[in-house]
Amino acid sequence: MNQFLFGFLLLVFLALPPVANLLESIMIVHMHMQMPLLVIAGFLMAYYFQKKYPAFFEKWNQRGYPGILLFSIIMIYWMLPRAMDDALTSQTVEIFKYISLPFLAGVPLRDSWAKLTSFLKNIVIISFTIMFIMMGLLYIAWPEQLCNNYLMIEQITLGWGFITMAACMVIYLVYNVLIDPMQYEGLAE
Amino acid sequence: MIKKQHTAIACFIVIVFGLVLLYTGTDGFTAYTAETARVNQLVNEQPEFPDVTFTDSQERTYSIAEFEDKYIFITFIYTSCGDECPLLEMNMGMVYDQIPENYLGEDIIFLSISFDPERDDPETLDVYKDMFHADGETWRMATITEQSELDALLEEFGVIVIPDGKGKFAHNSAFYLVDRQGHLKDIMDFTDVDSATQRVMTLLEAKEGE
Repeated sequence: MNQFLFGFLLLVFLALPPVANLLESIMIVHMHMQMPLLVIAGFLMAYYFQKKYPAFFEKWNQRGYPGILLFSIIMIYWMLPRAMDDALTSQTVEIFKYISLPFLAGVPLRDSWAKLTSFLKNIVIISFTIMFIMMGLLYIAWPEQLCNNYLMIEQITLGWGFITMAACMVIYLVYNVLIDPMQYEGLAE
Repeated sequence: MIKKQHTAIACFIVIVFGLVLLYTGTDGFTAYTAETARVNQLVNEQPEFPDVTFTDSQERTYSIAEFEDKYIFITFIYTSCGDECPLLEMNMGMVYDQIPENYLGEDIIFLSISFDPERDDPETLDVYKDMFHADGETWRMATITEQSELDALLEEFGVIVIPDGKGKFAHNSAFYLVDRQGHLKDIMDFTDVDSATQRVMTLLEAKEGE
């Protein structure tokens, strides 16, 4: 219940107009801070939904496939340059952002992640790494302004943000392959 | 078995939802940036050129009615612009040079509108016009001194201008074509001079055939 409350408060906090305006005034913060925080808000709230409607998640997201698919689609949509502009200019899209990222990305992510095999988890991370590298290169190299509401320099900054995220995921993947946590647990005994 | 079906149904619903979302979000996979969407929409809506008062490089003031029954080939610029505007104006000049003389001034007017009226007074515009060999008659450079009128025009024609706080502006660049009735007819890629010229010539020649 506490988690739900934290998630909900986070969502409300992010929805406060001054907070939203501030975060959205900087392109990279809009995409790489506000949007992930919205997903995290949903992730925290998910626990409550899982407890309240276990049958629903068990029945419709048994092995986590539909959930992770929904999560990915929502993420892809919000990576479109167009979506960021639309969120700033259209009230409907802005509201959709505050609903889709927590409830259609955060909630299914939590439910699915626990159910996916580690092989599939790696596939998901690798896919997002490739996607982030491509989006990063696109935002860095595109000769024109992709978003009308943001300057070119912000676009390049965002591109490097994508590359940085991708680098972090690569580090995680390498770590995953090379390090066997069992060795450490063995030492602790 | 039944559970497998549920997963399949759920995946199917998610994929359909995703396609609908991406389809609507990109206007049917045609516009991935707001700029493309904006241009598509403007060309569909054909908004009317709002009532504004121009002040041109020869200190004349007039409204859009000055160009009644003529096509107007428009660019939006500011003269302190370092990179994009000179290129935009140079390309505009290349279109201008390809239009046969008998059309110029009669059927079509070239008009560069500055969105920086504070700095772009008639003298500044006059100097700027000479840099591109504009004659000030068939190719005029003007600004709109009334800020509210200027804002209305930029809004109506979807020109986004963001001051960067250091005296420069980030703005979208294109060729705008207004028809004889004062409606926005087309927005063209300013880097593709030949296509823009062709488009204009087709419209001008269509009049002759009537």
